[in-house]
Amino acid sequence: MADEFLLQVGGVSKAFGGVQAITNLSFRLFKGEILGVIGPNGSGKTTLVNLITGFVRPDSGKVFYKARNITGLQPHKIANLGLTRTFQIARPYDSLPAFKNLIVPLNSPRVRRTRGGKLGDIEAVAIDMLEEVGFERDARVPYKTAGSLPLGYLKRLELARCIALKPDIIICDEIFSGLSMSEITSMIPFLEKLHLEGITMMMIEHRLRELFRLTDRVMVMNFGEKIAEGMPQEVIENKEVRKAYLGTETS
Amino acid sequence: MDIVIYGTVNSIVFALIAVGFTLVYGVSRIPNFAHGSIYVLVGFLTWSFVNDLRMNYALAILLSLTIAAVVGFIMYRFILIRLRGMATSEIIASFAVSLVILEGLRMQGIGGFKGFIGPFYVLRPFIEGKMNIWGVFVDFQRLIIIGGGIAVVGLLWLFTHHTKMGLSLRAIAQDERAAMMLGVNSDRTAMISLSIGSALAGLAAVIILPLGSVTAEAGYKVLIYALAVSIIGGLGSWAGAVLASFVIGFAMKISTAMFGAVWESVVLVGTIILILLFKPSGLLGKQKELEERV
Repeated sequence: MADEFLLQVGGVSKAFGGVQAITNLSFRLFKGEILGVIGPNGSGKTTLVNLITGFVRPDSGKVFYKARNITGLQPHKIANLGLTRTFQIARPYDSLPAFKNLIVPLNSPRVRRTRGGKLGDIEAVAIDMLEEVGFERDARVPYKTAGSLPLGYLKRLELARCIALKPDIIICDEIFSGLSMSEITSMIPFLEKLHLEGITMMMIEHRLRELFRLTDRVMVMNFGEKIAEGMPQEVIENKEVRKAYLGTETS
Repeated sequence: MDIVIYGTVNSIVFALIAVGFTLVYGVSRIPNFAHGSIYVLVGFLTWSFVNDLRMNYALAILLSLTIAAVVGFIMYRFILIRLRGMATSEIIASFAVSLVILEGLRMQGIGGFKGFIGPFYVLRPFIEGKMNIWGVFVDFQRLIIIGGGIAVVGLLWLFTHHTKMGLSLRAIAQDERAAMMLGVNSDRTAMISLSIGSALAGLAAVIILPLGSVTAEAGYKVLIYALAVSIIGGLGSWAGAVLASFVIGFAMKISTAMFGAVWESVVLVGTIILILLFKPSGLLGKQKELEERV
């Protein structure tokens, strides 16, 4: 693995009222890798995503992206630098047709800049992109309003919206949650393809078995702290991780 | 037949007044309490341009609407941007702007300014005269209100469904956080919405005001109407705003015809109370959705 890193989180802490959501957390995200982030509910995973993407300002610590300090930068600026995310609860624009959901990121300053202002037929580009994440082309699915799509499609739409931004990093916040086994199985190849295309990913996930098919490095969080980091196999052997997950000290 | 025509006109008056308010709230979640003051400001500006500066009527209207848009822009850029997300502060600040404008217009004495007081400030109807529709005499200005209202709602629909800027406004309106993560600048869309919303308040003014005279007091009334429509239709809901305008518009005219004009405001307030009792989120408003886990 190349040791060039895209994202560096240095000693961030965040408390909401009296609750310490994240305590002095540091880690690096290397270029081209898929980093898994796991941990029990309430361990601060989503807060971490919010800290990185600018929705929440850390009480202390810094976030660097491509050697640039992005701590406290507004979310749309961070997104336009090429760091975006999916949401745990799929948040499409319900009343827009599915493909129009992509027109918003396709019109972002970032995409306009990288493509030199010309996109050709933007609607055709959007429909092509939906096909890339597994929407059937001649089916009328891309034209249906997003609100009427089943969850499996919504998650793909969520991913397609991120891809439309041509990002360097995508943070997936529980992209498998709520999906059936077969939906997950059909989703994995698309994530692998993104990985091959060179997009760096960070995946917050509860479905460990499926996650481990994709990642080569995992970070474990509990009560807002990093308790382990490493290869999937060694991480699940880790005593503290087992304790956090199972609540007992089993061997 | 009277009730149908005048009820429709009255309903569209409400819709015109509320549409800008709804746009601003929908996109930026800012309850713009300065809405009514901008309505009145445009009325007086247009009057002054025409009568003091002898300007062409159409040009005067265009210039006033531009000023309204600039006022909306400044209001966001220098005041509301710092209070964003704190609803109570937004209400207080925008109402303060409203007081400054409305009471400023009424102020007397400074620099020989006489203040806009009294019923002398009348905007000319676009076209004089009236016509007979199914036995009812309707003046052209009321027909212009009907046409203008339909045109405004139609153009806004086209703008928000088929233009890039309109789509990013909708994106922010539907889910601010997701839109930001896709690179939409929330301050910019809020600024645009306040400019357009203020211009729409002004447009409502120049279409509606020729029916009566321009007074500062109308600013407070317009604000109350906009709030009434929003409460009944559901805050930020377009279809709700149009539906509510027709509910109020017809309820008021029907009660006037049946019990007399004094009952108009009773019916208005009564409708609000009924809605708050049975569907507090408004006719087409949404309840708060499930929050994400931390």
